[in-house]
Amino acid sequence: MLTAILLFLASVLGALALVLLMPRPGRKLGLLGALFAVTALGGAWLAVALRGDLLEQLMEQTLGFPSVAFAYYYLFSFIAIAAAVRVITHRRPVYSALWFIMVVLASAGLLLVMSAEFMAFAMVIIYGGAILVTYMFVIMLASQNEPEHEDDQPDYDRYALEPLWACTAGFLLLAVLLSVYFSPASVQPNPAAAMTPDKELIETHLADRSLNEETAELASSPSATPDKLSNAERIGLDLFESHPLAIELAGVILLVSLIGAVVIAKTHVPNEDAVARGIDDPETPMDESQAGGATA
Amino acid sequence: MILAELSNLALSHFLMTGAILFTLGLIGFVTRRNLIIMFLCTEMMFQGVVVSLVAFAMFHGNVTGQTFVIFVLTIAAAEAALALGLVVLLFRRRRTLDAGAWAAMSG
Repeated sequence: MLTAILLFLASVLGALALVLLMPRPGRKLGLLGALFAVTALGGAWLAVALRGDLLEQLMEQTLGFPSVAFAYYYLFSFIAIAAAVRVITHRRPVYSALWFIMVVLASAGLLLVMSAEFMAFAMVIIYGGAILVTYMFVIMLASQNEPEHEDDQPDYDRYALEPLWACTAGFLLLAVLLSVYFSPASVQPNPAAAMTPDKELIETHLADRSLNEETAELASSPSATPDKLSNAERIGLDLFESHPLAIELAGVILLVSLIGAVVIAKTHVPNEDAVARGIDDPETPMDESQAGGATA
Repeated sequence: MILAELSNLALSHFLMTGAILFTLGLIGFVTRRNLIIMFLCTEMMFQGVVVSLVAFAMFHGNVTGQTFVIFVLTIAAAEAALALGLVVLLFRRRRTLDAGAWAAMSG
């Protein structure tokens, strides 16, 4: 009960913090908002710790391993959430994208804590390397002259749209999600879902798997030994044994989006130069909302 | 690391982080008016889902959740390519990234 109340209060405080942090005209309340946010996060973690304390003791006594990794969990989780808040509150799109790289790196760290090495590195390479570079490129391409002062930013970067209602709705959703996560305390892993032992997999699928000289050095690490599969090997086996059709579909989706992106990029925009020079085009007049947005 | 087989203690920790990331992405998508930031926020929602998927995979002791992350990444890449193409197209028409400039499309 205490945990539930604490989580609820933390959610409310978090919503308030986000409202204060959103871009707005007038007085800057960002520091207060940041303080609220840190308090809310601390409260949420306190709630988890209170509930988890008994279990953790039990775990240490029965399984005998220390929970050092939890330090990393708290560290990466804090970085990820703080950077995520900055992504949605920063006034400059370029910095938002840079903070999002921080989110990606921190959640890659979380995946490492969960011993999902392959996915962690894939996330850094694909998200941080490929997708974010595309975003940065488009931001540079589509931004007007870099304003020298914050007040010269376009309106749509300076003012958030209905932050109060959005934060209320968002944190209601979060409260519901968390209450679902925390109420069934007796959930146990499904033994039927557990993976077949590595040794069996190697015998059935990787009979001629050999650790040659090049991989011998790697094999001396505990991640991959003659009768133990590494994370990447497991994912590869699962991917090609259990989801062959999904791989094909993913390839088709990538191909379609590639063609679609080319088609979109080559679409002819009527009177593009006139729009660029700021001349009102009689055929496509500026509608009221844009005119209003420009003067608001 | 050593978290290979864990109780639901660790599961709820990671699920909470995933849920918070998802919610922040959702709020950002609704509130921000810059089209590029809006799509950046959808990527953040993907991040939350990825953390949750890998947490479930760890909890149940298999790698199916991690395999699904590959498909999440595929969709994220496809979405980024198409959405950014559309954003550039919209920008070329109106010279603005304001989502409100296209309010007429909502009818």
